[in-house]
Amino acid sequence: MPDMRFAPPNPLRIADRASGLNALSVRSYNERLVLSLLLQNEGISRMEIGEKTGLSAQTASVIVRSLEQEGLVSQGEAQRGRVGPPTIPLSLNPEGAYAVGVGFSRRRIDIALIDFIGTVRFHKQLPADEANPFPQSNDLLGAISQAMTSLPVEARSRVAGIGLGVPDEVDAMAATRNGSSTSLKALQGEIEEQSKLPVFVQNDITAAAGGESMFGVAKPLNDYLFFYLGARLQSRLILNHQIYKGNSSTSFDHGLVRLESELTKRGRPSEIIWSSSPEWPDLGEAYSEWLEECSNRLKSSISALTQFVEFRTVVLSSYAPRKIAKALCADISREFPDIQALPARVTISPKAVGAASLPFSSRFMIQ
Amino acid sequence: MRSVLCYGDSNTHGQIPGRGPLERYGPGERWPGILRSQLGPDWYVIEEGLSGRTTVHDDPIEGAHKNGRTYLRPCLQSHATLDLVIIMLGTNDLKIRFNKPPSEVAMGVGCLVYDIKELAPGPGGSTPEIMIVAPPPMQDDVKEWKSIFAGAPEKSRLLALEFEVLADSLELHFFDAGSVVSCSEADGFHIDAEAHRLLGTALARAVDAIGWSRST
Repeated sequence: MPDMRFAPPNPLRIADRASGLNALSVRSYNERLVLSLLLQNEGISRMEIGEKTGLSAQTASVIVRSLEQEGLVSQGEAQRGRVGPPTIPLSLNPEGAYAVGVGFSRRRIDIALIDFIGTVRFHKQLPADEANPFPQSNDLLGAISQAMTSLPVEARSRVAGIGLGVPDEVDAMAATRNGSSTSLKALQGEIEEQSKLPVFVQNDITAAAGGESMFGVAKPLNDYLFFYLGARLQSRLILNHQIYKGNSSTSFDHGLVRLESELTKRGRPSEIIWSSSPEWPDLGEAYSEWLEECSNRLKSSISALTQFVEFRTVVLSSYAPRKIAKALCADISREFPDIQALPARVTISPKAVGAASLPFSSRFMIQ
Repeated sequence: MRSVLCYGDSNTHGQIPGRGPLERYGPGERWPGILRSQLGPDWYVIEEGLSGRTTVHDDPIEGAHKNGRTYLRPCLQSHATLDLVIIMLGTNDLKIRFNKPPSEVAMGVGCLVYDIKELAPGPGGSTPEIMIVAPPPMQDDVKEWKSIFAGAPEKSRLLALEFEVLADSLELHFFDAGSVVSCSEADGFHIDAEAHRLLGTALARAVDAIGWSRST
């Protein structure tokens, strides 16, 4: 019997490194822990990683080295303070991994390709209509492959997967229309088939909240209330990083659909509100009335919820011009001095970016 | 003040490529000296470089004292307390007289690591941080050493991978010297002054990257 201390070392991690991203099975809990930590804290040192995780310096060193060689993590320049030893900051490498997200809405479908730190590298919209929520799958498959080929050839193997953010009612509608529940499943299968990548599906608003937790202002928050202002106004409650969706399927009819009908009533054009335009022209009385109603709706929801749950932050996400989210957040802060209201950081198609964060959380992060 | 032990062979000793056995770079020129100046006054840098040192073999020709394993224990104990041990060995194990594949050389380094862990010369009887440095690959032309190092240049190119597998498996800090320097053309397996400067600088950065708390 040989002395097992001198058994040949296990080359698994290194042998597997040869081609781009490591296989799913090799991603250890500790690697995920370190990646999650780097996502939350850009520029922390190996020692801080050790302090926050309880990993020894040598274990952290092995993991960081492995992630560095895989291209997921990069080292910055040494920071020499006036006192104490220098520290070397570590960050996620933006080019280390990519993901594609698809956000389905009533009027449009957003396709986005994001990098490892959530920056949108490619964005495209396809029209959709309520009667036919899923477009011709060829159009969608085409847009997804367009997103992938927007990357340089050598980076394409770094796409971790594809996420779909699908509203419940769209899903249900598609199911009833075809008399079976195959529609979304079939689409998922087709995308997997074409891209040879894992495809993840989640409710669109939950995905948007997840995206904001991963890349946005909600990064450091354990608990917050999330509003999504799209066609309608919808919300999620995040407690201890878990995203909760209310039991009732109600969503408030105070979103852009309401604004649209107010505009139509007054005989004004409304197409602009469905675009991704960063500015809207002056929409007059209809707009200011709608904004006030919307603000009141938000405030009454918050007020109702504060009776039951304690949270200090509200995050408001929307692809509509940023000044709307800012105005609404200012209203909320005035009404509730103890609550911090923040416009979301993700503004280019929050649903698609959130959907794109699904492959990252599944493959790289602790859940 | 923290202490680091630089445990190596002629390339830690500072042997000048292609020159006589007694010709050595000055204290400020060889890589432990560069490391000393880069790390600054918070570190005490101890040089233990012996020409011809192997990982775990008595050398039948050059002598039993070239065995890196037998000398390591007294050396560690002499210099304790140590915060960090840097080991850069392996080139001499590739001499044809030892007839060892690269994986076996890495295992030799592994033995040294076990000995360090057993002796625990770190602060308060702990295991110090251990950094394995894979020596830079040899040049194909090793001049008059070609019979002694028959087959060695090819094996030397595989050491970095084997050492890294070892470092991963034993959870050690690792640095590949071949990523920053090459051996001099003068004899094919020693590094010149510029390489010492680059290696010392890179290792100082690797030492910093370990992360050290302010209090010692």
